[in-house]
Amino acid sequence: MNTPWNYNSAPAEIILRNSTMDPDEQQQLKGWLYDIATDRDKAAFTALFSWFAPKIIRFGIQKLNTESAANELLQETMSNIWRKAHLFDGDKGQATTWVYSIMRNLSFDMLRKVRSNREDTLSDDIWPIAEAELIEDNVFDDHLMSTHILKHINTLPEAQKEIVNGLYFQDLSQEQLATKLAIPLGTVKSRLRLALVKLKQQIGESK
Amino acid sequence: MITHHPKHELLSAFVEGELPASLSAAIAVHAEMCEICAKNIQHLTEESAANFFSPDVKTYNSYSDKPASNTAATDELSYEFMIDSITEDESIAELVVQEPLEIEIKGSTYQLPTALRSMSMMGWQKMGKLSRARLNLNEGALHSSLLHIDKDGGVPSHTHKGFELTLLLEGSFEDEMGTYVKGDFIWLTDKNTHTPHTTEGCLCYTVADDALQFIQGLSKLLNPIGAFIY
Repeated sequence: MNTPWNYNSAPAEIILRNSTMDPDEQQQLKGWLYDIATDRDKAAFTALFSWFAPKIIRFGIQKLNTESAANELLQETMSNIWRKAHLFDGDKGQATTWVYSIMRNLSFDMLRKVRSNREDTLSDDIWPIAEAELIEDNVFDDHLMSTHILKHINTLPEAQKEIVNGLYFQDLSQEQLATKLAIPLGTVKSRLRLALVKLKQQIGESK
Repeated sequence: MITHHPKHELLSAFVEGELPASLSAAIAVHAEMCEICAKNIQHLTEESAANFFSPDVKTYNSYSDKPASNTAATDELSYEFMIDSITEDESIAELVVQEPLEIEIKGSTYQLPTALRSMSMMGWQKMGKLSRARLNLNEGALHSSLLHIDKDGGVPSHTHKGFELTLLLEGSFEDEMGTYVKGDFIWLTDKNTHTPHTTEGCLCYTVADDALQFIQGLSKLLNPIGAFIY
């Protein structure tokens, strides 16, 4: 039985090694991601880009073999980060894990294109980005909290404000809101996510 | 209860994106049903990411810092260009919420696991109580299929020239080695011979890298169609 993939009955036992990342550095990466999500902050993006680029290139060369493929991987990964930063949830995991997942998924699909001559993008089904599903339905149960939060909600962009108001003050479901506003459910979820990231940050600052 | 799980090495390779789509999907589906493996995958991903991004290659430390070692000046130029072109895009990614996909076979309806949803599927081929739909992944010798065995059906005693992975999606079956339930991840090689049989019927996702080899008496006659099933 020398194949590494042979049959096994018991679940794998995973022994965690200490993380090789400095906690301050992880915090810095999260900070940049939040700045991108809330302000479309190009300086933060540039910093994040410079931090990750050489490593993504290295990953690309390891997995995809050519420099041009590695560059494509870099471009795609960073562009995903720019457009998906609002979906990152720093309470649920590290920025490195999130970036790694995006990079791994893109490289998987690129490799599949080369090896199997297929243009399908299976990676998002195999490793789904499930953040939106994790948004709890009753974030603002507390009445006092609602009053406190109200003033912050008014500072949100109109599109996000109507989602938050509809969900939390008119008790509509995400599905009902999507129908009412004639937008896809996914748009409701991402606007909500973006609004919550902003609110969380503002409330944290005003404490 | 699920008692058969993918091995550690398989999970590591999965996390690093090194397995073919067929096997990656099998592990993803198993993890949807198995909390232990889902948690292990989470840990392994965190670990791979932290190891991979550990600060041993050149990095900038803050907004204004210059790179620690500037090996290629052209890098910086092309990076600037890349950053500009990426940040010009003002749209943000919207999440697409997908409806679960259902399939119907022999009068039963099943919900397809997320990981299999976008795979292109060929039509069902039927032989007695066995029905098989090939998934068109184009992975050379690796063949992936959905296999349905109707109530009280089975596969004659066989071994495998390579490996055979069976992931139980619904129902249960038993063989000489035991009983298997929904979520079980069953990896067999040419060292294993078995005669699966199901009482209640079952739907499986299978991946194999070669044809089945029937070994007993009359069922040897089936060998030319051994490739039918897996």
